[in-house]
Amino acid sequence: MERSLGELKPGERACVARINGGGALRRRMMDMGIVPGVELEVVRCAPMGGPLQIRLKGYYLAMRRGECAKIVVSGEQRVAIKHTLASR
Amino acid sequence: MKIALVGNPNVGKSTVFNALTGSNQQVGNWAGKTVERKTGIIRRDNLDIELVDLPGTYSLTAYTQEEIVTRQYILREKPDVVMAMVDASNIERNLYLVLQILELAPRVVIGLNMMDLAKSSGIILNATELAKALNVSVVEIVAAKGIGIDKFLSEAVRVGLLQKDPLVHQVPYPSELEEKIRAMENLLKDTSWASLYPLRWLALKRLERDPEIGQEWQSVSAPESSKDKKRDSCCDSGDALNYKLKKIIELPGNDLLRSYEEEGWTRDHFEMAFADAKYNYISQILPRFLTQEDLRKPSLTDSLDRWILSPIWGYPIMILVLALVFWASFIASAPLGEAVSQGMALAADFLVNLLQWSHAPTFLMSLVRDGIFAGVGAVLAFVPQIAIFFAFFSFLQDSGYLARAAFLGDRLMQLMGLHGKSFFSLVSSFGCNVPGIMATRTLEDPKDRLITMLLNPLIPCVPRLGVMSAVVAAFFPGTRGAMIMLSLLLISMLLVMISALFMRRVVDQRERSAFVMELPLYHLPTLRNVLWPTWHKTYTFLKRAWTFILAASVVVWLLSSFPQGVPMDSTWAGKMGEWLEFIGKPLGFDWKIMVAIVFGFTAKETTLSTLGILYGVAADASQSIAQAMTGAMSPLKAYTFLVVYMLYIPCLASVVTTYKESGSLRWTAFGIAYNLILSFIIGWIIFHGGQALGFQ
Repeated sequence: MERSLGELKPGERACVARINGGGALRRRMMDMGIVPGVELEVVRCAPMGGPLQIRLKGYYLAMRRGECAKIVVSGEQRVAIKHTLASR
Repeated sequence: MKIALVGNPNVGKSTVFNALTGSNQQVGNWAGKTVERKTGIIRRDNLDIELVDLPGTYSLTAYTQEEIVTRQYILREKPDVVMAMVDASNIERNLYLVLQILELAPRVVIGLNMMDLAKSSGIILNATELAKALNVSVVEIVAAKGIGIDKFLSEAVRVGLLQKDPLVHQVPYPSELEEKIRAMENLLKDTSWASLYPLRWLALKRLERDPEIGQEWQSVSAPESSKDKKRDSCCDSGDALNYKLKKIIELPGNDLLRSYEEEGWTRDHFEMAFADAKYNYISQILPRFLTQEDLRKPSLTDSLDRWILSPIWGYPIMILVLALVFWASFIASAPLGEAVSQGMALAADFLVNLLQWSHAPTFLMSLVRDGIFAGVGAVLAFVPQIAIFFAFFSFLQDSGYLARAAFLGDRLMQLMGLHGKSFFSLVSSFGCNVPGIMATRTLEDPKDRLITMLLNPLIPCVPRLGVMSAVVAAFFPGTRGAMIMLSLLLISMLLVMISALFMRRVVDQRERSAFVMELPLYHLPTLRNVLWPTWHKTYTFLKRAWTFILAASVVVWLLSSFPQGVPMDSTWAGKMGEWLEFIGKPLGFDWKIMVAIVFGFTAKETTLSTLGILYGVAADASQSIAQAMTGAMSPLKAYTFLVVYMLYIPCLASVVTTYKESGSLRWTAFGIAYNLILSFIIGWIIFHGGQALGFQ
C-alpha cells in the first residue's frame, strides 16, 4: 500500500519507497537521511495546515505538507527493502 | 598546521572551537558570502595551528552557501587535518557527512560528542569499534563540560604529522555503479584536475554533474588568460580570451555522461544512488558499534515537545517566551540605557568644560555637546538593549527553541511565501530592526534572506512604538488610543504581507525554498556559548555603525545650527524642510513635520525632540511635546503622520546593517526607496481617504 507521507496520521510509521521530483529539495532530503527504506514516524502536525514533525534515525525533522507529499511511503513497518538501483 | 573543524549544525562545534581558541579568535565573513568565518591561532608543542571553524552543514554538495564554503575550504586550502564533530545521538546522519569528508580528505579525526544525550535515548556507542569500522581515530568528548577537547586536538595534531595519508575504508558502491565510477576515473586521471583533487571524488562529482566542478575546471585550465588579464589590466581584452577558452574547453566525460543518460542514469539518479550507497554502508557497519536499548521512558525532548509544539499550548508558550525576551531586553533594561545616556552627557560636559578652559570657539563646544555626544549617545543608549536581546537570541538558538518557533510560525510565513525561519527575524524587529536584520543569517537561501531583510524596516521597533504611543495618547485619549494603535499595527502587518509577495517578484524568487529543518534535541547552552556571540554581535554592530552614526550626528548638527544665531526655521535644516514641503503638502504635512522626518533618520526616537524644538516646547518629556502638537494638527493629519512615521525609512543603524548583511549597495538603496515611496503613498491614501469619509 503506497501513500504519501502527508497522508500519515500522527503516531503512524512507514518506510520511504521513493521521493518524487528532483533538484535541491530532493538532495536536501537525502542529506537529512530520507532515502528509500528509511522508517519515518509522523510525531505531530502543526495546526491549520502547518508543517509536520517527523522522527527518523533518532532525530526530529520539520517538513511542510507540500514537501511531505513528495515522499511516497509504503505502509508496512520495518520490511527489509532490497535495493535495486534501476527501480528508481 | 591548518586544521578545519567540520560538522552538522548543532553538534557543539562552536563549543569546541571556543574552548580551544579562547579569546584568540577572529570572526569575519567568507569572501562574497554572508556566512561567518571563524579562525583562531593555537600554539601547541612549538606548532602554530590555524583552526578554522567551518559553517555547520549536512552535506558537501553545492546547494547552500554553507556547503560551498565548507567544501571549497577543504578543496582549495587543503587543511592538514579535518576535525569532524559527530553527534552520537544522531549518528547515522552525522556519519553521512563524515563519509563525504573522507572521500575528500583522508586525514580526519572524529570527535564523538553528546554521548550523554545518546545514552538518555537508549543509544550506546562503542568508540573503539567505530574507529575500527572506518579506520579513523575517534575521540570521545563532552564538549559542554570541556572533557576530551584537548585530547581531540592532540589526536588531530598527531594525524596531521603522519608521514603518509592513513588508509581509509572506501564506501563500497554497488558493482553497477562502481563500473561507471571507474570508467569516469579513467577519463579524468590524465587531466590537470586529478592532481588537484582526489580522483574518486572527482569522478563521483562529475557523474553527479556538480555545477561547481565545471566552474573550477575553467579557472584551472585557463591560467594564461588570467595572467594576461593581470598584465594588461588597462584593457578588457582578457575577457574575450577567457570566453574563447570557455568555448574550447569540453569537460572530459561528456560523451560518457550522455550515454549513461540514455540508459536512464540521469544526474538525479546518480545523486540518489550515491547517497543511498552511503546510507547503506552506514547501516551495514552500524551494528558493529551501536547497541540500541528500547527505553520505555520518553526522552526529555519528547516530553518538552509535547507542550512546546502542542497545537493548543504551543502558541501561548511561544507568546510567553517572546514576551519575556522583549520585556527583559527592551523594558527592564531601560535603566542601563539611561545610564549610558547619562554617562555620555557627563563626558560631554567634561569635554565642554575642557574646551571652555582652553577658550575654544562656541561652535566647537556646541558641536561636541549637541552634535557628537547627543547624536551618538541617542544610538549608544540602545546598545545595552540590543546586547541583552542578542544574549537571549543566542540562548534560544542554542537551546533548540528557535527551530521550534520557526516550526510554529511557519504557517504564517507560508502565507507570505517565506521560510519559517523568517518568523523570528520579523518578530525580533518589533524590538529593534538591527537584530532582526542580523537574525536573517539563520536563513539558508540568499534570496529568502534578502527578502526578509527588506521587510524588516516595515515593522515598528520599540523606539518607534514609543514615539507613536506618545503621539497617540495626546491625540486620541482613552480607549480610542488603543484602537488607533492596534489599527497602526494592523497596517504594518498587512503591508509586510503584501510587500513580501511583491519582494518575491522583485528579487525573482521563483522557487519556494525547502522547509526541511532539523528540530535539534533540547539542551542547556553553556554560558560561554551565549556570552561570546553576544559580545561579538554587539561589537560588530558598533564597529559597523559608529562611523556612520558619528558622521550623521555631525551633519544633523551642522544643518540645524547654521547659520548661527537664527531661529530654527531659518537654519539650513529649516530651509530644507521648506524645500521638502512640496512632498509633504499632499499629505497635509507642514515643514516642521518634514524636518522632523528627515532628522529621524539618525535615530527614530529623536523625532519627538526635534518636533519639540520646532514647536518651541522646552520640556524634555515626550508627553508635553506631543501635547504641543495637538494644537497644530488635526487628528487625521496626526494619524497620517503616524502611518508615514511608522513606515517611512529604516533608521541609519538598520540601513548600515542591511548594507553589511546583504553586501549590496543596490539592494540597500532599493530598500530605502521602497520604504519612502510606500510610506508616502499609504499616507496619501489615508489622508485623502479620511477626508473623503469626512474625518478631520
